[in-house]
Amino acid sequence: MASIAARRLAKELKEIQTEGCPVGINLVKADNFELWWFTIEVMGESQYKGEVYTLQFRFDGQYPISSPAVQFVVTEGRQAPIHPHVYSNGHICASILGNEWSPVLSVTAVCVTLQSMLASCKKKERPIDNDRYVRNAPDNPKKTQFHYDGKCCPALIAYSIMTDMGSAITDDTV
Amino acid sequence: MMSTARVPTVNDLRVKLCYICREEEPYDAIREGPPRAWTHPCNCTLIVHEACLLDWIQSAQGGSAERAQNALKCPQCGTSYEMESRKPLVLDVLSTINKVLQRAGGVFTLISAAGVIGVMGSGVYITLTAYGAWAVRQFVGKEMFDMLLTDDPSNWPWTAFLNLPLLPLSLISSRLSTSPTLFPMLLPIVLVWPPSPVAHQWMHHEPWHKRDRPHSPRLRGWPPSPVIFGMFIAPVVKMIYRKLLHRVALHIFGANLSDAGRSSRFGLYLREGPLFIRFRANVDARPLADDEAIAAAMNGHLDANDNDDPDADANPDPAPAPVANAPANDRPQDPNAANLMAAERLIEKSASSLGRRIGGALLIPYISNMMGTLLFRISKHSHILREFLGIKQHRRLLNGLPPSVYAYPSVSASTGAVGGAAVGDGLKKLGQLLKYTVGNLWGGTKAWAELDPVWWRNTIGLGLFVVAKDCLYLAHLWLTKREIESRKIKTKDFSGVDIKELDLVPSFPILSPRPRRTSGAEIASRAFRQVDTSDGRRD
Repeated sequence: MASIAARRLAKELKEIQTEGCPVGINLVKADNFELWWFTIEVMGESQYKGEVYTLQFRFDGQYPISSPAVQFVVTEGRQAPIHPHVYSNGHICASILGNEWSPVLSVTAVCVTLQSMLASCKKKERPIDNDRYVRNAPDNPKKTQFHYDGKCCPALIAYSIMTDMGSAITDDTV
Repeated sequence: MMSTARVPTVNDLRVKLCYICREEEPYDAIREGPPRAWTHPCNCTLIVHEACLLDWIQSAQGGSAERAQNALKCPQCGTSYEMESRKPLVLDVLSTINKVLQRAGGVFTLISAAGVIGVMGSGVYITLTAYGAWAVRQFVGKEMFDMLLTDDPSNWPWTAFLNLPLLPLSLISSRLSTSPTLFPMLLPIVLVWPPSPVAHQWMHHEPWHKRDRPHSPRLRGWPPSPVIFGMFIAPVVKMIYRKLLHRVALHIFGANLSDAGRSSRFGLYLREGPLFIRFRANVDARPLADDEAIAAAMNGHLDANDNDDPDADANPDPAPAPVANAPANDRPQDPNAANLMAAERLIEKSASSLGRRIGGALLIPYISNMMGTLLFRISKHSHILREFLGIKQHRRLLNGLPPSVYAYPSVSASTGAVGGAAVGDGLKKLGQLLKYTVGNLWGGTKAWAELDPVWWRNTIGLGLFVVAKDCLYLAHLWLTKREIESRKIKTKDFSGVDIKELDLVPSFPILSPRPRRTSGAEIASRAFRQVDTSDGRRD
């Protein structure tokens, strides 16, 4: 029942349009139920003061059972924030996008979580293995199995790119 | 309406909102289609369609263990969901088996890797052990072998499983570490014995040749016990033989043979270290030394500055260099000795392949057996030889008794029924403690005395073989040395050379002033251009 995903996304979109986004987050586009863009900005004092980034959500037919593929947009002159858990290709190593995803989370909840992830950053730097990862990274960040280092503070120590077979299996089961 | 008459359930909510699909269902809504079951699985306010939750759990269980764990509790209050399902014991068992098998699979991978190594290792081990048993059998003869070990490994004492595989190794190592040409190992095969079950047997019955004289009327302590022979007699004999051989060689050649240690390249190189050094040295360093030694021998004398051995010094590999240097530094000053050394090297050069040494070492038991058999055949015609070899088979054959039948009754007769039974046991299971405890009581030393001492004639045979081989070697050496000493380069006249190119003595009668072949003159002129006198003439 792909319509479950569509109905839920429609509902979330309606909520955003009626109630508005949380502070610092704005909907850029949501033309369909597959690709949404938001701008995200950290309010108050932080490393990223005054910087606006764009978040991209990609949904498959299994949403919300299956987590959305979330990343920063790095095209059209947009940049990914420099952050220990954000790769320069926009991929984000955050446990709520992987192991700790729950259907109770919504698009705005994800946005707010990532916003606070940026806000709590002490030092602007890329992940240690940025270059190596970006060279081999798949297009869809969900195909990367990140290893999270701690519960609330996801850190990327190591990751493994799933093989084609592995990702196919995951896609079927998710 | 705060009465607690009834605790509200999910069905009492005015609007139900599924936290997964976010569908709402007012209590008074007119249902379309089949009703969907709602559930409140935790302790907070979240409620959910049962189907949605099951979907989510099922999907999460397909993922990582952590995800599956997360799906089984409320994302808000963290309460674990209680799931009821038809989970008969069989399913539990099957799942458990599956998990166990999964884990076992990993273990299996490890085990199979270890197994491959183990199989290869045990193959080597079995081969070595089989060789060891074969060697012992060759050396002590079938009769004694059947008594000590038998063909069935299940009768073997545990020490046999240590000693037998070590036997080929010790044979090979002895071959690699002592002079190959002068003293093939008579000893190792005997020396390997003492720790072996064979030797234990002997240890305990060492005095048999002193004690049981009345029982073996013909033998009286001859031949000596293998232990005494191996420990005391053989080394002495070997030492005497070695000195004798050197003396004979000195007599023949007028110079000493080179030391066993130095002439054995493998001994030296094994001590040098890693394998490649040996091979390298074999290929490179040694021929240099050989050629030089031969060259020196041909010169008949040595230049003092030649001792530096520039070839060896130029060798970039540091390890073989000292080895290559060695012959140069202690090269004998005596031309005769130099010739001898050159001859030794010539022979050794073509006699030092690894396969030859190892093969030769492994053939020792067979050779000694052959030689022993040969001696046995000859002994039929010589009473003295028969006595010396302590051959008893003739007598036994005369008595018409097979050896085992003959030996055992005498055992039980002398030790009594109990002792005899125990000995019978001990005989079957050599190496057991029992054997040692009754060992002293065992009059069965007679059995030993009655057994044909095949090992003795084999040892003697091997000794003779060694002597014959060394004689052959000395002969080879002598011929080679004579060949080196008799070397001359054949000289030719200048036919074919333009006579004008030669600076001849004035008294040389010039018969034909005309050059006969210009091409020959050309070559000759090029060849002689370097000679000063020739140049002078051309000017």
